[in-house]
Amino acid sequence: MARFHQLSVTDVTKTIRDAVVVTLKPVNGGDFDFTQGQYLTFRQDFDGTEVRRSYSICAGKDDGVLQVGIKKVEGGAFSTWANETLAAGMTIEAMEPMGSFHTPITPDAGKTYLGFAGGSGITPVLSIMKTVLMREPLSTFTLVYANRGVNTIMFREELEDLKNLYMGRLTVIHILESDAQDIDLFTGRVDTEKCKALFEHWIDIESVDTSFICGPEPMMLGIAAALRDHGLSDDQIKFELFASAQPGRLKRKASTAESGAQAKSTEATITMDGAARSFTMDKDQSILDAALENALDAPYACKAGVCSTCKCKVLEGDVEMVANHALEDYEVAQGYVLSCQSFPISDRVVVDYDQ
Amino acid sequence: MTDTMDITDYLAQGGRLTNPANVPSRYRAELMKIMATFVDSELAGAAGFANVINAGPGIKERIAAARIVLEKTDNADRVLRLMGEFGANTDRYANHHPWSDRLPRDTAPGTPRSAHDMRLSVLNYPLTDWADAVVMNLLMGLAVGVQLTEFLTSSYQPFAEAIREVAPREQRHTELAVEGLQKLIAQGELDAVNQAAAYWWPRVSESFGAGVSPRGEALNAMGLRSKSNADLRTEWVEVATAALKELGITHPAP
Repeated sequence: MARFHQLSVTDVTKTIRDAVVVTLKPVNGGDFDFTQGQYLTFRQDFDGTEVRRSYSICAGKDDGVLQVGIKKVEGGAFSTWANETLAAGMTIEAMEPMGSFHTPITPDAGKTYLGFAGGSGITPVLSIMKTVLMREPLSTFTLVYANRGVNTIMFREELEDLKNLYMGRLTVIHILESDAQDIDLFTGRVDTEKCKALFEHWIDIESVDTSFICGPEPMMLGIAAALRDHGLSDDQIKFELFASAQPGRLKRKASTAESGAQAKSTEATITMDGAARSFTMDKDQSILDAALENALDAPYACKAGVCSTCKCKVLEGDVEMVANHALEDYEVAQGYVLSCQSFPISDRVVVDYDQ
Repeated sequence: MTDTMDITDYLAQGGRLTNPANVPSRYRAELMKIMATFVDSELAGAAGFANVINAGPGIKERIAAARIVLEKTDNADRVLRLMGEFGANTDRYANHHPWSDRLPRDTAPGTPRSAHDMRLSVLNYPLTDWADAVVMNLLMGLAVGVQLTEFLTSSYQPFAEAIREVAPREQRHTELAVEGLQKLIAQGELDAVNQAAAYWWPRVSESFGAGVSPRGEALNAMGLRSKSNADLRTEWVEVATAALKELGITHPAP
């Protein structure tokens, strides 16, 4: 089970106009000895609603610090707060590092890595890059880094320093969407075509052992397609998908609870896969069992309130959840229940498996 | 580079999801079911095998059986940890069920044991003796091998990666079964082996589920599955038939 730990903020540094690097130090335990490429999940309360966001660690294993990069997203509560309000001396809560965006370190092997990063997707790639360059002295790393323009490049100076430090082992190719560069190839978007052109003239794709990709979805698909076309197998291509795909701020549950309900049965409406079905169910039957009985292919696994597969959201009415070993308080506050453990109390309930 | 696309389109085009924060609800539910089926089957398989360790005729056989129990339990742990990242209570999960429970031996093939666990139906049947256990391990091991190829390309990258580590160990368990059968047959146990094969064949076959699953298309679109149950079963019939032939075991009536 994921638990949150307190971290004190020791430094907040702006990297570009709308992105900060936050340095953290565990206060009350928790194993924050991360693996390169992992991420931290933070939680923060905004007007009574808990928001959780995950951000990649950008530090290398040997930097001796725990750092994440946070880019401000338009309308994003957490990233705006981190960029405008968060300051050294404050405390923040995060879960222990998670994620499998990495390959094992092999100090004796000379591997060829190819990284692709789009915008703030640089953060985990930077962590991996710094770590493998330090711990695998025979390995080389080529980074293809896509940005809108020069002034939106996160960690630009740090990358220059790394290039000097690892002369001959680190190659950085900046692809800029709107700023013209000396070489035409380095202008535009990183898509399948661009990759093909890069593989023709600039990158020896045959020699690549592992490729790491972190960026927006269309960019990742385009790059992965090009890599597969050039013979890389699925286990050589590592993806990390972030920020853009995360849902926005959660709305609060619309409470229309009825009180003093008398009937033994409940009018239930259950939505799944975009279709709603209504039926009458007994109050001594769980929401899940009623859904299954009414030919809905509702998800479940353990039926014991521990696995959370049957999670759904109560949109209207009240249910009693008799056991809950999986959902956290904030999820319950938002109206989520384990349907295998939930029995209707009100005479009408509306439940959604799609949210 | 802030342009995004609909997550459904992304998945349909072969995109990968990488952590619980970016999976849609329905995807989460289907993924959890798949992972629970794997975890429950490994736990039930390990629990069943634990009971036959001492039935092994020699030290080598007991080591092989103990190793299978250890590694299947560890395989379950790897995937259960992923379920834990989605909120599953992993400590409770491991104990919420008597994994060694079985139905009576003569129960018809394809019968589910209870609504409370997701183990494949073949794991509902008890093992009788060493020959029985080794035959089951061979036929089921080959089935697992076929089923795991589906998960190697799962759109949930951490699951695909866990399976990539698990698959070679499962493969080794199947090889241990082949070695075990060669030894049994050399010792004149072919009749017992043939009987066990006749018992387990239809039960393993049933574990592939309905030929056409109504959820199949949705799972394909999510990148969680790629082949139909019927296709997987056909693949298994091929490899299992070849394996039995090579060992000189009578092919059970299909």
